[in-house]
Amino acid sequence: MVENQRWLNVLAHAVLILGVIVVALPVYIAFVASTHESGAFMSGVIPMLPGHNMVETYSAVLRGGVSSQISQPIWLMLGNSMIMALMIAVGKIVISITSAFAIVYFRFPCRGLAFWMIFITLMLPVEVRILPTYKVIADLGMLNSYAGLSIPLIASATATFLFRQVFLTMPDELVEAARIDGAGPMKFFRDILLPLSKTNIAALFVILFIYGWNQYLWPLLITTDPSYTTIVSGIKRMTDVQDGTPMWNYIMAVSVLAMLPPVAVVVFMQRLFVKGLIETEK
Amino acid sequence: MATLTLESLGKTYDSGASAVRDVNINVADGEFLVLVGPSGCGKSTLLRMIAGLETVTDGTIRIGDRVVNKLEPAERDIAMVFQNYALYPHMSVRENLSYGLRNRRMAKAEINRRVDEAAKILEIGDFLERKPRALSGGQRQRVAMGRAIVREPSVFLFDEPLSNLDAKLRVSMRGEIRSLQKRLGTTSVYVTHDQLEAMTLADRLVVLRAGKVEQIGTPLEVYQRPASTFVAEFIGSPAMNLLDGVMQGHALSIAGASLTLPHSHQGPVRVGVRAEDLRAAPAGTTGGLPVHLRYVEELGSQRLGHFDCAGERLIAAFPSGQALSDEMALMAPPEALHLFGADGMRLA
Ligand SMILES: Nc1ncnc2c1ncn2[C@@H]1O[C@H](COP(=O)(O)OP(=O)(O)OP(=O)(O)O)[C@@H](O)[C@H]1O
Ligand SMILES: [Mg+2]
Repeated sequence: MVENQRWLNVLAHAVLILGVIVVALPVYIAFVASTHESGAFMSGVIPMLPGHNMVETYSAVLRGGVSSQISQPIWLMLGNSMIMALMIAVGKIVISITSAFAIVYFRFPCRGLAFWMIFITLMLPVEVRILPTYKVIADLGMLNSYAGLSIPLIASATATFLFRQVFLTMPDELVEAARIDGAGPMKFFRDILLPLSKTNIAALFVILFIYGWNQYLWPLLITTDPSYTTIVSGIKRMTDVQDGTPMWNYIMAVSVLAMLPPVAVVVFMQRLFVKGLIETEK
Repeated sequence: MATLTLESLGKTYDSGASAVRDVNINVADGEFLVLVGPSGCGKSTLLRMIAGLETVTDGTIRIGDRVVNKLEPAERDIAMVFQNYALYPHMSVRENLSYGLRNRRMAKAEINRRVDEAAKILEIGDFLERKPRALSGGQRQRVAMGRAIVREPSVFLFDEPLSNLDAKLRVSMRGEIRSLQKRLGTTSVYVTHDQLEAMTLADRLVVLRAGKVEQIGTPLEVYQRPASTFVAEFIGSPAMNLLDGVMQGHALSIAGASLTLPHSHQGPVRVGVRAEDLRAAPAGTTGGLPVHLRYVEELGSQRLGHFDCAGERLIAAFPSGQALSDEMALMAPPEALHLFGADGMRLA
């Protein structure tokens, strides 16, 4: 921050503004589309200003009054997505923080092997192992269930690595001081490690929640029962109309609504982890 | 309050490195023992073995009359102060102090009593609700001490607790640790590589060298009768001068000078003499050590002359007004000379 020349400031702002435009413009267009009548976007000229149909469109979508267009009530789909995203985020964090704890702080036989097995799963995201995973989930009778939706996505090496890195930066003396203070392993984990990893947990939660929320392929594959439809696959289904044009105003309204929970999570958690960043030091 | 006994204690790390070898020390109840030695000599390893943070590979450790080799640190009735304080960053000072007590399920009233008392002794009462981050280095140091005090342990262990403080604060904290320890009467083992800190704090001093005890004694004993050239050079500032000499019976010849000593020996020796024991030989006297002045260090209360003596360095301390010339002769009373054999061990 030593540089304070005018043109550097201008340049920095130009780059930032450009970035914001690139990211925000499609979102804005989606919002604009949701406020016009359904045909407006097919007319050749894309309107750049919000129309007058906003209240009607949104209330219709929220009240489920467009059942011909939306296969399921939007609240159900939002709820499904919420449950799936929360299960994935919480599950991943719980599993990876405990496995990182084991790997960093315990000397057990085959510790190296365990570590490398976790490492290898990094190279096997769901899309790569989708067939065997489907078979396993089907054989376990978990098709059309929340467990089936989230458990295969929970296994995660990245989060384990992140926590391992965090734990490795904790000074050894802290562990030793806790030992002298009579804190056993679980007490140490709960009283010292968890509070000190708060910021990392918050950051990871944001990333994983959005990852879970945006899942598309897997939910599409294992849920045939419409009552398990998630919002993302629901939007996709809305665009598949047999005859006639899709009702773009409704689709865009649902898209905008689908964006709100992740945005809320980011806004809320960001405060938490910025606060955490300021408060703790190791 | 308890004694601490180390019997033929040894530590070999998994890597095969032998860090501590055959250490035998009895620490009396209430004694302040200081472990001193150069970096890597095994001081921390020894202390951490007593704390229970490092396994014991040979020998036994006794606190009172309990053998504690196999006990967890929390069961040994010790408290340790770390070099970087190791305070829990997310806990307030009060929580830091009380954490160990809460883990022992002590009654709340008793915890509060101990914390408040420690806070009073250490004058940290004003920031009991602050986080360690909001404290200065010296204040953190006090909190770390407080965490040790509230446990009311049998033994205090200190691993270079002052080395992160600036020089001035170090001197004042040194005094505080000393008076606190006397007041509480708790047996203490203190590790440092600073010989001055060791001298000023210790009831007894243990000089370690490569994992072995080189000498044990009161600071004065160690200073006045170092057991080897290693101790002679390590304890005392400036370091003791060591010169090569040859003895034939009672006659010692060094660097062209010769002296008659009370003790006798045959063959080459290392002769040690402290800077403050050297004087300028008055003009006209014979038998002085001919030296060449390299430079003078003014300390205010005294001046240190750095000399060349037959190719070896020599430092002598003079009163501040003393005139020094380029070529001069130095002498010392025969009883101020320390004689060491070719193996570095004290002869007499
Ligand atoms: N975990 C370990 N594994 C293997 N060797 C070790 C380990 N810890 C220390 N050592 C070795 O043991 C010897 C003594 O180390 P120690 O930490 O006790 O030294 P020290 O006297 O405390 O030094 P310093 O003044 O630098 O703190 C050193 O040679 C060191 O390399
Ligand atoms: Mg050390």
